[in-house]
Amino acid sequence: MLAAHLLVGALLFALGLVGFVTRRNLIIIFLCTEMMFQGIILNLVAFGRYPLEGPPTFDGQVFSLFLIAVAAAEAALGLALVVLLYRHRGTLDAGAWTTLRDE
Amino acid sequence: MKLLLANTWLPTSAELHLFSPELVLTGTIVAVLLVALVAGRRPQLSAMIALLGALLGVLATAHVARVVGDGGLGGLAPPGEPPMLIADRFSVFFKLFLFVLLAAIIWLWLTGTIERRMRATSRPVGDVGGPEFFVLLLTSALGMMLMVGSLNLLVIIIAMETASLPSYAIVAADRRSRLGAEAALKYVLFGAASAAIMVYGVSLLYGRFGTLDLGAVAQASSLWSHQQDAGATGTDWLFCLGLAALGVGVVFKIAAVPMHYWCPDVFEGAPIEITTWLSIASKAAGLGLLLRIVTTLGGAAAGGTHHTELLAWAIGILAAVTCTVGNLAALRQESVKRILAYSSIAHAGYMMMAAAILVAPAGTAANVGISAVVAYLLVYLLMNVGAFGAAALVTWHAGTDHLSAFTGLGRRAPWIAVPLAVCLFSLVGLPPLGGFAAKWFLLVALGTSAAAQPWLWGLVVIAVVNTAISLYYYVRIIRQMFLTDDATLPRLQVPFGGLALVNVCAVVILLIGTLWFSPLGERAGRLASNLYVQPTPPALTLQP
Repeated sequence: MLAAHLLVGALLFALGLVGFVTRRNLIIIFLCTEMMFQGIILNLVAFGRYPLEGPPTFDGQVFSLFLIAVAAAEAALGLALVVLLYRHRGTLDAGAWTTLRDE
Repeated sequence: MKLLLANTWLPTSAELHLFSPELVLTGTIVAVLLVALVAGRRPQLSAMIALLGALLGVLATAHVARVVGDGGLGGLAPPGEPPMLIADRFSVFFKLFLFVLLAAIIWLWLTGTIERRMRATSRPVGDVGGPEFFVLLLTSALGMMLMVGSLNLLVIIIAMETASLPSYAIVAADRRSRLGAEAALKYVLFGAASAAIMVYGVSLLYGRFGTLDLGAVAQASSLWSHQQDAGATGTDWLFCLGLAALGVGVVFKIAAVPMHYWCPDVFEGAPIEITTWLSIASKAAGLGLLLRIVTTLGGAAAGGTHHTELLAWAIGILAAVTCTVGNLAALRQESVKRILAYSSIAHAGYMMMAAAILVAPAGTAANVGISAVVAYLLVYLLMNVGAFGAAALVTWHAGTDHLSAFTGLGRRAPWIAVPLAVCLFSLVGLPPLGGFAAKWFLLVALGTSAAAQPWLWGLVVIAVVNTAISLYYYVRIIRQMFLTDDATLPRLQVPFGGLALVNVCAVVILLIGTLWFSPLGERAGRLASNLYVQPTPPALTLQP
């Protein structure tokens, strides 16, 4: 059972990471980080329920509750920043922001 | 209700006492918010409350430091359970460090508001301030304190996010600044990705060992290594992968290679008070966490294992690459903020070198590395507050932090130019300044540990070569201040508060380099003396 859960978790995480690197739209990028967190949460719950050694523990589930809160906070911050950025430039393209760089 | 409480574990007042610095800080955050609710939006009032909170925090930490003597460490957990938070001298040092830095940053901010009011028309970039600014600043400080004061992976992750999220927001504190918005974007993107990778690593570690306590993880891992057959070269891939992913988050906080790209951009775009804060506090907290992790792993692995050896090599190589990349990239910068940003990357590299010692097989070597980093951090705080403070005073006046703004500063504002020169020479590591003392302790620590691990001599060589490279770009600023001049440029009128800050930093740096050289070493050595180490449960004792 564990392997199937881990596989889905790893897939979600990898999809999020790939999307994070390849996408240009700011909102999609932030959604991709959310997807990475969902993969992690699935991982934690699966490991808590079917541990590799020892009896099942609740640590993973407690951790996932905290992570949901963290992911929500990060999303709130990210979206607020998207609004701020959109007001400055009128675009959601991450590639438009290249003023700060080495000379 | 009574029954319920009887079965619930509640922390005793003695335990809570040990965490009074965090409680004071939390109280200050609430006070800043509530007072703003009653008294309206008055930035200076918020700043005063925050400053008061930081000073109270220093008192509380000094009190805890007395309680946490040798062997008097405490944890916040039910009896028999591994602690959620720990108070030992190492974590107390970081609390004190952060409170002092917090006070200096608020002081710098207060100076900046006076300066901004004086020339309200000439500044293109708007001011930052208000209760939310201080709430974000204090909250990130709280997160950084918790980062160094725990061995529980859940607490470490939450602390890390508590430190990071406000930092992202505060970089864009000036909402009219495009550069600030861009800096915040880059910071958030890098931060969110590295945090996700880090938490994935934690989920793997949890899965591998079935516990979130890093002490138990370290013991189980070393037990596994020692149980391998005589060759002892078996590699626990899940453990290594988890640890590497955890390291990504830590390395991001330290801004070491390969997660350093955000650092110069964010430092340039952020308000200069926040640049100062991030360049010192965020790195210090990241290094504290790194030291905590590697000492725990190294301490549990009696005599060193295949894994701790790999870890030491990985940290050593990263440290060497970090300080080389930082120094080489700084050579071609024209913006003083960027030069100092790359210099902070280089210094993070020097300090990471000491972390490579900690997994050394020799039992006493652990303390050498920790005390070297502690001494280095203390001097680094003074040097960076002084250098960034002086740069801030010039930047506020000139409206730019380009190198040309520093032309003729030796004539135009000697009380900025001289302390800035002291700080810059100290950043190079020249005697008789504090920076020399810091580098000396670091190299001595590396040299004494090199008996067991000869490859540490390589790090010593790299550190010395890098010091020589760094001389060039620091001296460039000093040359611009003293050897070039433009008679048409007027003298600088600067607020007294700012002058006091940078001059105090310069004087203390001078004192550390001369009179306080050996006291610094002794104090730093004592700080590393009672590091919290998990007692080994009987089930896990090693068979010889």
